[in-house]
Formats: sequence, structure tokens, C-alpha cells
Amino acid sequence: MLRRTAKRDRLVGLFIAGAVLLNPPILNLVGGTLFGWPALYLYLFGTWAVLIGATAFIMEGRRSGSSSQDDDGDNP
Amino acid sequence: MSQQLIIVAAVAYLVLLFAVAYLAEHSTGRFSRLTGSSLVYTLSLAVYCSSWTFNGGVGRASQSGLDFLPIYLGPTLAFLLGPILIRKILRVSLANRITSIADLIGARFNSGGLAALVTVIAVIGLVPYIALQLKSISTGFAALTHSSEAAHPIVQPLLSDGALWAAIVLTVFAMLFGSRSIHPSEHHPGMMVAIALESFLKFVCLSAIGLFVGYGLFDGFGDLFAQAMERPDIAAIFEYRPDRYGYNWIAMTFLAMLAIFCLPRQFQVMVVENVDERHLNRALWLFPLYLLAINLFVLPIAIGGRVLLAADTDPDNLVLTLALATGQPGLALIAFLGGLSASASMVVVETTALSVMVCNDVVMPALLRVKALGLARKADLTRLLLWVRRIVMIAVMALGYFYMRHDSAQFALVSIGLMSFVAVAQFAPAIVGGLFWRGASKAGAFTGISAGVLVWAYTLLLPSFARSGALGIGFIADGPLGLELLKPYALFGLAGLDPVTHSTFWSLLANVGAFLAVSLAGRQSPLEQARAALFVDTENLDEVAQIWRRTARVPDLMSLVSRFLGKEKAAAAFANWAHMRGVDPTTAVEADAETVLFYERLLAGVIGAASARVLVSAIVEEEQLGVDEMMRILDETSRIIEANRQLEDKSRALEAATAELREANAQLQVLDRLKDDFVATVNHELRTPLASIRAFSEILRDHPDLPDEEKHEFLRIVVTESERLTRLIHQLLDLSKIEASGAIPAQRAVVNLAAVIRESTAAMHQVFAAREVELALRIEADPALVMGDHDRLVQVVINLLGNAAKFSPAGAGLATLRLNRAGREFEISVSDNGPGIPAGDREIVFERFRQLGDTMSGKPQGAGLGLAISQRIVTQHGGRIWIEGTAGGGATFRIRLARMQAAPATAKNAPAGVS
Repeated sequence: MLRRTAKRDRLVGLFIAGAVLLNPPILNLVGGTLFGWPALYLYLFGTWAVLIGATAFIMEGRRSGSSSQDDDGDNP
Repeated sequence: MSQQLIIVAAVAYLVLLFAVAYLAEHSTGRFSRLTGSSLVYTLSLAVYCSSWTFNGGVGRASQSGLDFLPIYLGPTLAFLLGPILIRKILRVSLANRITSIADLIGARFNSGGLAALVTVIAVIGLVPYIALQLKSISTGFAALTHSSEAAHPIVQPLLSDGALWAAIVLTVFAMLFGSRSIHPSEHHPGMMVAIALESFLKFVCLSAIGLFVGYGLFDGFGDLFAQAMERPDIAAIFEYRPDRYGYNWIAMTFLAMLAIFCLPRQFQVMVVENVDERHLNRALWLFPLYLLAINLFVLPIAIGGRVLLAADTDPDNLVLTLALATGQPGLALIAFLGGLSASASMVVVETTALSVMVCNDVVMPALLRVKALGLARKADLTRLLLWVRRIVMIAVMALGYFYMRHDSAQFALVSIGLMSFVAVAQFAPAIVGGLFWRGASKAGAFTGISAGVLVWAYTLLLPSFARSGALGIGFIADGPLGLELLKPYALFGLAGLDPVTHSTFWSLLANVGAFLAVSLAGRQSPLEQARAALFVDTENLDEVAQIWRRTARVPDLMSLVSRFLGKEKAAAAFANWAHMRGVDPTTAVEADAETVLFYERLLAGVIGAASARVLVSAIVEEEQLGVDEMMRILDETSRIIEANRQLEDKSRALEAATAELREANAQLQVLDRLKDDFVATVNHELRTPLASIRAFSEILRDHPDLPDEEKHEFLRIVVTESERLTRLIHQLLDLSKIEASGAIPAQRAVVNLAAVIRESTAAMHQVFAAREVELALRIEADPALVMGDHDRLVQVVINLLGNAAKFSPAGAGLATLRLNRAGREFEISVSDNGPGIPAGDREIVFERFRQLGDTMSGKPQGAGLGLAISQRIVTQHGGRIWIEGTAGGGATFRIRLARMQAAPATAKNAPAGVS
């Protein structure tokens, strides 16, 4: 129970971070190009990927044995 | 490219999808395992990416850069809140067999009317969205067949209109998938696999085009961006501007967050088709990952297209045109099929969801209420249900088609899609409020949704008609009847926002405001409160049965359910339920509240909660709910908290009790050991004298000719041993008597301790003389008055004197008996100059049968009861007895007894009187 609440709270933390980072005004701080690529493109997709990676880490990182059954269906 | 080839490819593709769906539903083994996996679940969620992503997103990106992205960032953020919001929706829906979003809202607020309202709004709101898909297919088709000149469908003759054919084919497709048969709980596993496959294909198509653009048309993405940045109009999109994105970006993100669970098709795949709650855990990150991956190439494709293509290319067809213009018809076909995938999956799921909603929440409740039709008595309604759904699908599709012919050509894809988003976002306050706030009332939800939708219609829907000429463009520019304040795109003068953001703000403000205000101002009926508590406290869902104490007859329920579900399915479901509850399904006649609820939910899975409730209530006996029962349910939470607290208290008490028990157990074990010792000792002590008495008696019997002095000697031994035996038994009885009487001495009288001592020494005089032990007597307090039992105290002193005599060395022994005052007490001390008692043994000599040394060896010098008796007597008198060592190596027994308060003047002889 406690573990699950901790997971939930971490995701809420990620949500707040994501809502701030992926919206103006923070978003408007990025502009121009980086290595010839649009910096905004790199920033948005980079931040997005980090958010997803962190979510995956939280959800799958210290998984319990009960969800191992879940894996079977995914690798046909 | 020839028209026939494209049509054949498209139809072949759709047939392939249907084959996959059919296989998934009918095969066994590895393939069917796919249907219930978290990967299929996640991919089916990707029905979110309709042709809007495929064509509209690219179109928008080519115009204004990255502002198509909030549509996908929103769901990512919403999924981060998944464990709170989505899981709750899942659980509530599973427990209530919710089949659509209208069902959910209707069930929460227990209102069929509300469900119908939601359904109507969903249909109105989503028709443009479906139109968008048709438009996308038709323009794509046109682009492919007429090379790069995209013809507007409006100017085409009806029969050669690709959109019409697309609409017809997709309708058939949707009917085949979504309304082939009636399933309890509305699962369509085959459809889900087909949707998942489509999601996979549209991702592959878009990625293939992206890679082709990057590496086929340019020298890698770095080159693509480098070339693009040389064009000032493109470079301007990406340069640093502190005010580039404002409210519009935030509003789009927010809208998409709400849409991901408010869109009927998303609700269908995410909630209704969910077979295992754990799939959500995986989807929480896998679905956002899919969104990221499919959008990765959108910007490069858009920018590449803008660099290469003429400026007047229809942006929504950019993907196709790009492939065609660069001489890649095969790639163009792939792009078309990818867009078709996106459209087809969206249309199929959306019309399925809408048909279920319209059928369950509008048509069936209406039909069932019309008594003249006699539907409630019809034997088999499954066919009727299916046909109602099919007709609804056709109707929705037709509406979409006409909307497209009429209006949609005026708008870019993204704007149409967002219009639908704002419409369905109106459900969000009622859902979120309904699931997390007990105070949310039916009237509040009704007013909120209505207000929101009216504002939406005024600020988005009407202007869309106005722009197409039906209302006149003056409606937008000058406001209705020239009222400036009511201009639909700048309501109350709120200018500077784009129409969608503007409408989002006003409609949700009206919605949430009305919802909160009416909920707060109104009063909920007790039943409404109970229902609210049930939905807000998910844990108590099963208690819904107890709200309505309904009973019915099983055969009635059975025949009702069979009509909608078919006989076999109904019987199997009931057998399963009866088995779970341990009831024999063949003999069960009376259905209790829970069984009635089971049937209602079973029915709700087919025809929706509203209709099911109408039908079931016709055949059940419903009792009014008692006020106290209502209070009980309302106070569920506080009760649980209270119970928790009590449980904590109890466990603490239990811990204490356990500790006490453990202590008692330890004591018992010691006592048990003592009892064993006691029995062994008594056995030994009683046997020794008995054995010698018997032995000597036998000698006397068998040898009558013994000399007289021997006879005399033997008789003396027999007598002595008998006396010892008597004494032993007497002491045992004495001890048990003292122990039985507890703390109260046999008599309470004024006792003079000096007299007690004099009497004792007189009695023991002979013993000391015999052992040649000198006894010194020092009475320093006379009278020494205490309350107690004279005889018992004498017994104690005699016992101590006996011990002193016994352990003092014969001949050279010296015992001292002293009586003196010690503060508020008198002290009697008996010292000897014997071997003494080791400090460690000074406590245990007071235990029964404790004799120092090995009792089994040597001549026992006593039963070992004397000191035990003495200690108990002293304790009964409220005094203490203990042992000290003396300087000469002997032992000193000390007794202290409390002095009598306000001693009477004379009481020399005890017992002198009773105070």
C-alpha cells in the first residue's frame, strides 16, 4: 500500500514538472537552433522523452512479482 | 495512379484488417493470447491518433511549427495522473458495468436524462470529427487520382465523390466490427486487435515517409533543417520569441488532457475494452511513448515538404503530395493507406461507441417506456438491439458526410478536430467532480454540462455555420443583431485568443461555474447522497446492493436478461454467479438484493445502466431505504476511520494482554515445576516414615520372641515416626489452610508480642536443652502490641526457634531471641551461630519443601514447610520476614510487624479483646 502511494506521488510530481516544462512561459525561453536543428524541437522531444523514461522507471523499475504474468502476453 | 488500383488496395487492406479481427476472436493459441495483452491495449489507445495526426498534424506543422504538439503532450500529462483519475474511472466502470461515457455520468448521478443529454452532445460534437476523417480520405483519394491538384469534394458530382464511398465502406466496416453480436460488457476483442494493428501500421507508414524524406530527399535530417533554416519564412518559425506561445498552447494541452478520457472512442478503448486493470500500468508510459514516436517525424516531413513543394499546396495533403511530387507513387499509396488506417480505426471505434450510447441511453429507454410497443414483454430483443445500433451507425455516418459536404471544406483539419475536443471536454467537470466530490449533484452536472455546451455552440459551432454562409458572416464580425459584446469569437470583448482557446475558456468557465454553484446551492436527496458516497469511495462499490433492498424472483430476472443476452449466455452467466456464491442455480428462486444487482449489471453491460434500471425496476419489489441505513452508508468513511482507530486500540490491548499472558505462562511454568517438586517431596517425606513404621511393625509381628527391650525400642521408633507423619500432615493442612484464607488472618485481636515470645520459648525450652544450645532472650519492648492471631504468631516464633536449635552446633550453640521497637514496627529477630545461609539462597528457603542441600541424602531434618508457613503467616499480618547473615557466620531471621495504632493501655494477655 505504501509503495503504491509512493509511486502515485512520484507520478504526480512528474506531472507537475511536465506541466511546467512543456508549457509557456518556460517553453518560450527556448528558440533558435542547436547544432543546426531547431532548438525547440530538441527541447520538446527531449523533455517529453525524459518524462516518459521516468514514468517507465517508476512503473516498471521495482516491479512486484504479480505483474510478471503481464509480460507473457506481450511477447508473442 | 489509377482509381481502381487505389480502391482495390484500400478494400484489400480493410478486408485484411477484418480477417485479423475475425482470427483474433475465433482462433485459439498464441494468436488469441494477443487479445488480452497490455501491448494490444496500449496500441488500441492509439486510436487517439486519427487522420488528424497523419495529415492534419503535418499540415499544421508546415504552417506554424510545433504548435500541433500540445494535442499529444496533454495525454502524456493526463496519463501521469492515470493512477489517480484513470484507474478510478476503470474501477467504477468495471463495478457498474459501464458501457460508455454517457453511462458513467448517468450512473453516477442516477439520471437517464443526463445520460441522454451527454449522448446527444457527443453526437453533435463528434459529427464534425467524423466528417473530418471522411474529408481526409476523400482529399487524399482525390490527390492520388488527380496528381497533385487536390480537387474540392464539393464541386464533384455525388457518385464520383470518394468521401461518399469512403463513408459507405467505413459504415459497413463499423457495423461488421462493432455490432456483429451482443456481448455482455461490450467487449470487442477482435476489433481491439484490428485497431492495434492499424495503430502499428500508421506508425510504420509515417515513420517510413519520415525516413524517406530525411534520407531520400535530403542528406539526413541535419541537412533538411539546414536547408530549411536558409529560408527566412521557415527560420522565422523557430527563432527565439519570448511571446511565441501563450494561452493557446496551454488551452490545447488542457483540452487534450480532458479529451483523452472524454472522447467516446477513447473511453471505449481505455475503459470499456479494458480486460485487466494492470494493463494500465504499462500503458501509462507506453502510450505516451507511442505518441512521441509517431510525432517524431511530423515536423521534419512538414518542413521538408515546405522546402520542396510549391507554396500553394494544401497543407493537409502535404504527405501525399510530397510523395507524388518526388516521383514515389508507391510511397504515396503507403501514405494513403496510413491515413486510411488512421481514419478507419477512428471512425469504427467512434461510431461503435456512439451507437452504443445512442442505443442504450436514448433509443432503448424511450422505446421501453412506450407501453404500446410492448417491448418489455417481447421474447428476444437481441436482434432489435443490433438493428438499433446499426441504424445509429448509419445515421451518424450520414450526418458526418453531410456536414462535410456542407461545411468542412472551409476549415483545416485541426480546427475541426479541436471543435469536437471542446465539446467533449464539457463532460470532464461532471466526471472528475462526480468521482472525487460527494457534493456533486445531479442538478449541478445537468446545469454545468448544458451551460458549457450552449457556450460551445455559440462560440464555435454557430460561427462554423456562419462562415459557410448559413448565418451570414456578419454574425461573426459584428455580433448577433450588431451587438458587439456578443461577438462569438470575442465574447464580452475577450479578444486576442484564437477561437478554440476562447471557446474553451468561456465554455469550461460556464460549465464548472454552473456545476459548482448549483451543486453547492442545492440540496441532495438522501438517495443522491448515498450514491455519491458509493462512487467517491470506490472501495464500497459492492454496497450499492444494500442501498436498494430489492428482491425478485430468479425466473423473472432470467427471462428478462435472456431476451437481451440470449438464453445460453444468460444461463451461463447466472450459473457462474451462483457458483461463486455457493448457490445451486437450478433451485434458486428468490433473488436477494445482490442477485438483483448482478442481473442489473449484466443487463447494463448490454443496454446501458439507464435502460437496465428501468427494466429491472419493473419486476422487483423495492423497499424504501431506512433513514438510519442511509446514514450508515453516508458515514461509511468516518465509520471506517473509527473502526481503524478501534482496531488499533484493540491490537494495542491485545499486545498488552499477550504480554500478560506470557508473564502468566512463565509463572505457571514455575508453579508447575514447583508442583512437581512438591509432589516428589511429599512422596518422599510421607514414604520415609511410613516405610520405617511398616518395617518395624512387620518385625514385631514376625518375631514375637524378640527381647523386650528391643520390642520397646522398635515400638518407640514406630511412635516417633507416626508423630512425624502426623506433624507433616498437620503442616500440610496448615499450609493449605493459610493459602486458602488469603490475606486475612484467622483471628484479628490485640496481641502482645512479648507474651508470644515468652510462650514460645517456654514451649521450646526442652528442645534447646536436649541439643545443649543456649538460648538468650532479650525482650526490649513490653508490651509490644500488634493486631493479629496469637496462636499463629506463636507458631512462627516456635518454627524459627526450632530452626535455630536445629542448625546451631550441638553443645556449643548459642541462639538469641530479641524483641525490640524499630520505628513504627516491632522487630523479632532469631539468630544462631550455625553454618548460616548463603546470600543467594535467602529467598528460596521460604518456598515450600525447600531445604538447603540435597533433600534426598541424609536424614531429612524437616518437611521444609516450616519457613513457608511462617512467611505466609507474617505476610497475612502485613509484616515482612527475611534473613540476614550474622558476624559469627550464623543466620538471623527478622520479622517486622506494624505496631498497633493508639495502643490500649493494658493487654498483657492475648487475646485480650477485639478492637
